[in-house]
Amino acid sequence: MIITDLLGSRVFGPDFLGFVSDVRFFLESETEGQSARLYGILISPHARSSSLGFERSGVRSPWPIAALVRWRHRGSFLVRWSDIERLEVGRIQLRPGFERASPELP
Amino acid sequence: MTPGTDDRPGRWLDAQLHLLDRQVLDVDDVPVAVVDDLELSEVPFDQEISIDTPPPVITALLSGAAIATRIFGGRPPESRMQRTPWAAVVDIGVVIKLAVGRDTLDLAWTERWVRDRIIGRIPGGRHIPGRKRSEHSGSDERGGS
Repeated sequence: MIITDLLGSRVFGPDFLGFVSDVRFFLESETEGQSARLYGILISPHARSSSLGFERSGVRSPWPIAALVRWRHRGSFLVRWSDIERLEVGRIQLRPGFERASPELP
Repeated sequence: MTPGTDDRPGRWLDAQLHLLDRQVLDVDDVPVAVVDDLELSEVPFDQEISIDTPPPVITALLSGAAIATRIFGGRPPESRMQRTPWAAVVDIGVVIKLAVGRDTLDLAWTERWVRDRIIGRIPGGRHIPGRKRSEHSGSDERGGS
């Protein structure tokens, strides 16, 4: 599987939730050759495109761009790998009772 | 809403934000590619994923003919993409640094082919620009492409 199989996919819970706008990975350390494990998918209810990270950080400038991008990606959330029930071409189904997490990065 | 990360020591990477379109430098800081895609380990596709299925990991950075599919949609054929193993990555920042030289990577094969088969056959094509004749005579056959 390649990452573009996931990006832009339509995500469904009980109903349509949004599009995969990014995929989050976790490295346990930064030593050479460390595995990068898929942690979850970021879902944007309104936009397929990348959001430049404005909604995942405290960056507020340049304010017109930050405000526009935050508005386009309002309501974004993260769903962890364990809440993904099924992957299909262009479609992801989440488990019943999936948990919405904040998209913010530390 | 619960936090999207946890307190484990480590590093969080978002694919679009931190990896895709980043320039890749080899061990000598020579640019070798741009990250066009990421290859993941196999996961169940078109079937239910059991809750204890381990998450996929990144196995390789992919570079190649991706611009057409980015503009017009679709999926680039995997045979047209060049793989750089994830195990070769040593640093991720503004650029992605590798622990290996470009000559060991598949993605530089076209440059090596042009260097060896075309440039190297032109008289004077096997010397390295900027080096004196005495420094390279007979000792370095890498060419100067």
